[in-house]
Parts: sequence; structure tokens; C-alpha cells
Amino acid sequence: MTTRPAPPRSLPDLQTWLQQAVVGGGHSIGVAEINEQILPSATLTAAQCLAIYQRGYYARLLQCLEGQFRALRHALGDDLFRDFGVEYLRTYPSQSPTLSDLGARFSRWLSEHRPDLHAPEKEPWIDFMIDLARYEWAVYLFFDKPGHEGRPLATAQTPDAELVVQSTLELHRFAFPVAAYYHAVAAGESAPPIPAPQDSHLVIVRKHYQIGILQLTEPQHHFLSLMAQEVSVSDAIRALATDHGLTESDVRAAWSRWKGSWCESGLFGLHADRALSSAATRV
Amino acid sequence: MRSERAQRWGQLHLVTTPDQRHAEVLAMPRLGLGLGLRHVHFDHILSRWPTEVEWFEVISENFMFSHGRQRHILRQVAERYPVVMHGVSLSIGSTAPLDQDYLRALKTLAEQLQPAWISDHLCWTGVLGTNTHDLLPLPLTEESLAHCAARVRDVQDMLGRPIVLENPSTYLGFTGSTLSEPEFLTALTDQTGCGLLLDVNNCYVTCFNHGLDPVQYLETFPMASVVQMHLAGHTHRGTHIVDTHDRAVVDAVWELFRIAWQRTGRASTLLEWDGNIPSFDACAAELHKARLYMHGEPDLNVIAAPGRVEPDQLSTPIGFLVPEVMSTTRTA
Repeated sequence: MTTRPAPPRSLPDLQTWLQQAVVGGGHSIGVAEINEQILPSATLTAAQCLAIYQRGYYARLLQCLEGQFRALRHALGDDLFRDFGVEYLRTYPSQSPTLSDLGARFSRWLSEHRPDLHAPEKEPWIDFMIDLARYEWAVYLFFDKPGHEGRPLATAQTPDAELVVQSTLELHRFAFPVAAYYHAVAAGESAPPIPAPQDSHLVIVRKHYQIGILQLTEPQHHFLSLMAQEVSVSDAIRALATDHGLTESDVRAAWSRWKGSWCESGLFGLHADRALSSAATRV
Repeated sequence: MRSERAQRWGQLHLVTTPDQRHAEVLAMPRLGLGLGLRHVHFDHILSRWPTEVEWFEVISENFMFSHGRQRHILRQVAERYPVVMHGVSLSIGSTAPLDQDYLRALKTLAEQLQPAWISDHLCWTGVLGTNTHDLLPLPLTEESLAHCAARVRDVQDMLGRPIVLENPSTYLGFTGSTLSEPEFLTALTDQTGCGLLLDVNNCYVTCFNHGLDPVQYLETFPMASVVQMHLAGHTHRGTHIVDTHDRAVVDAVWELFRIAWQRTGRASTLLEWDGNIPSFDACAAELHKARLYMHGEPDLNVIAAPGRVEPDQLSTPIGFLVPEVMSTTRTA
């Protein structure tokens, strides 16, 4: 027979105990132990008082997670989203002072805990959910990241040599058309179908605090990737032609079609501005 | 006159003494009637610049790490209104080390916003690296008091200003507690010179949950250190009350406000509405009910009357802290 350890009394011990009781749901804590630490009220037992915090912990954080993954919640349905959410929060409890980081590891958790993890063949709908979580988190982060606002953007008339991709721009690849699903949910569609696999190339950009999502072809994605690596427009045209077996004049003609709408969407800043900004950062 | 104990602390340990901090607290402005800044009201505020709200309180953590639209809007709001920074993650009572990165970010935001003051809660939010994002209760003991006082002094030294701490709503008490909350806060202000945010609704909620008399609570509360008050709605569950911030202020809390308004000498007063948030105009109308309760004698029968029992709701909602991103996203 083992001797029961003395109940925690110091402040560090009490806080560790209470946190485990709240986060763990109190499954391993007996009523006697709770009564040793917590007072009953006139109407509630000590365990019932503790249960107010236990109930609130997951419910409050799930509410935030739902706000960060609206499309994923729609795709999974409320019950499955909550089940996954609770398990995610158990695996990766928040370690940040801000709730803005709450969902940072959700797509990773989904990958690590996918229901078909050990199955020889993976189910496409699960791949879609993981992709959708990645997309949704990328957009969520984009909302609050340092942006290009207050600095000049290029126009269709800006000479090519002056163009650089603006500072708030990200290029992404997905195995599903996640953006179309996300925006169908945003538009209020009640039951957009889970899409079949299809390569999706996207650029996310922010202009005047508005997030824009542009669907790209693979060559367009390649072209912008080169420019994001500070390759000039003329060199990117040459590289694209070589890599895709096209003529430079074909690519130049395509670029002339892309440039106007991309400038309108705010994809480009000015080389001179970036040089100034970099110099200011160094100073 | 501050206590001898406070003076000894000043002589022995601090560059800025509790007396000096208390003097800074006394010099804090009376801002009038304010409202918690919530993103559902951003468009209304930016298009109207309403005058019926005299100041705004912002949730520090919502803006400390924001570099997007929220921060952009806050800059504009702070140019036109006094603002106060109200935090939920300082975790002043935690036995985990103070988060220096958090404090640096808090200070940076304060330098940019120049808030009238910076507040948080008498609570802890986590240990062992976890943030529960809840305002967990402290055992009210001499050990907790010494621990909190040392951390308050450290935070004040780091920020270069007094901090303001709020009495939280609590749903449990500890067998080991030896002090009442007003006694604890009196000693804490005495030892640190910090200011206090008296949440009148939390006073009502906590007192109901622990079988205490809220009028007695206010009579023993260290009013000289109160620079701000909070008002909010709650949900009465019959056996306990949950601090839900999702409805109008109840009459009993208004009557307690009448007492507190007079005893604090017109402390800056703010309405929090965090769940089922109505229009800006509806919030402003609720806030302005305060004018009906600034004078006269409190109706003790209203304070003692049983509340109306409502369905269960979440305590201290945090869902409002997540910005609505989907609606600001467009495809091209």
C-alpha cells in the first residue's frame, strides 16, 4: 500500500495542481484532494466550483480556434472540428501571450494525427482538410503581418526595371483548390463540395489592408518566385522561357498581359523604394 | 499617509518608491465614460468619430503583435481619443518567471500609444510555459501577496510607470486563503503604489459566488488607489454567477456603481461588452445609463434582490479577440 503524498500547499505547487486540474479536466483528481484545496460555496461543492473553470477552458479556446479556421470548421462540421480542436489543444496548449498564435500548429497536428496515418493509402479528403488548414492559417497570419502600406506601389506604367515584388506578398502551392472552397464559404454557400485534388498556385498580397488572393498558372507562379528572389523582369523572362521551353517573345507577350492586372492588384513595389527602405533598416 | 512599511520598501529596495508610484496614480486623469474598443465597431468609429464616448480601452495583446489593419485603426483612434491599455496575459500572480519579451512588447506599444495607464488583472494565466488564457484565481495569502508585490514592483520598474490591477471575477476560493480580496489589494497598493481598476460587476459576481456582501466589499476596498471602474453584464445561473460581458448591466450592479462612483471621486468608467456585441449606439446608450447612477443613495434592496436565472454561458469570453479575417479577403 502506498502513502498518499501530502497535498500541495506552496503557491508554485498549488498553481501547477490547479492548472493540471483545469487543463486536464480533473479526470485524475479525486474529490478529497479537491476539497483539501478548494472551498465549497453555499450552493456548489468544491468540485463544482472547479468545474466552472474546467468547462470554460476548452470552450473558450475552441471559440477562438473556430474564428481562425472558419472554412475548415465548415468543411469538417461542428462536431468533428471540436473533437479535433480539443485534441489539438491537449497536444499543443497555448504558450503565447496572444491568442493570435493559437492555431499556429493546427495543420501540423492534423498531419500528425490524421485518421489514416498508418493506412497504406491516404484518403484525399484528409489531405484536403490539411491543405485547407494551411491555407486558412496563411491568410490569417497575413492579416496582421508587417505590410507595404504607406509605401508606393508600382503601376502599369512603371518601367519593368523599376519593379520589385512588394514586401507583403507570399507565393503558395496547394494540392487542392483551397482558395475556391474558402471563398465559397465566405460567400455564404452552405454546402460547397469537397473538391478533388488539383494543383493550385496562389499569390497572397495585401494592399491598403485588404488581402487579395490571385490564382496563378504554374509558369506565373515560377515567374513571381524568381522576382521574389530579386531577379529582374528581363532575367525572369529569360529564365521562364528556358525552363518551360518557350520563346522569349512568347513570355514577353504573356508578361505584357499579366503586368497590368498584377500592378492593379498591388503585387509590385518600386526598386528605388526598397533600396531606400533597406538602407534605412541598416542605419 | 502611506504606511511605514511602504516607506521602508522605498528606502531599502526601490528607485521609485510606492509613495511616488501612488502619487503618479493620484495624478491619473478622470477620463469620463469610455467603451472597450471592439473590431465590430471599427467601421462605425472610423466613419463617425462619435463624441458620446469620451475614451477607449484597448486589449493590449490584440495590438502588441499586430502590424495590420487593427494597429492602423488603433493609431487613428489614439490620435482622437484618450486610450487605456488593458491586458489579459501579464499573469502577475503566476509563479512562472515574468515574460520579458511580453513586457518589452507592452512597453513598445505604450510608447507608441501613450495610454493614460496600463492595466491587467489580479490573477495568473498559467505556469510551466502554458497560457490558459483564463484569469485564474490566486489564493489570498501572505505568500501570494509578497510574490505579487515583488512582481508588481518589477513590472513598474520595467515599464517606468505604475500599473493598474483589476479585481477579477472568481468562481472558487482556496482553503488556504487568509485575506479578503480588499485586504489583499490594500496591502498590495500599500507595498507597491500600484493603481486599481475596480470592476463593479466582478465585485458583484465574486461576492455572490463566495457568499459575501458586495456593499461591505466596497466599504473595505482601497478606493484611494482606484483610477478606473469597469461595468459589464453577467449571467446568473442560480447557484453561481458567470462573468459573461454579453448583456446589459443589471440594476444591482448599477446600484453598486452608485456607491463606487461617489467613493472613488468619479473614477474613469468603462463599459465592457464582449459577447453578442450590439451596435456601437446601443453600447453607448448602455454606457450613458451610468449618468443615472452617479448621485443619491444606493437602493440596498435592489443590490440584495435575487437575480434572474439565465441559461449557461461562457465566462470572460475571448472569441471577440479573434479578428474577422475572412471578410477582408478577396479573390482576383
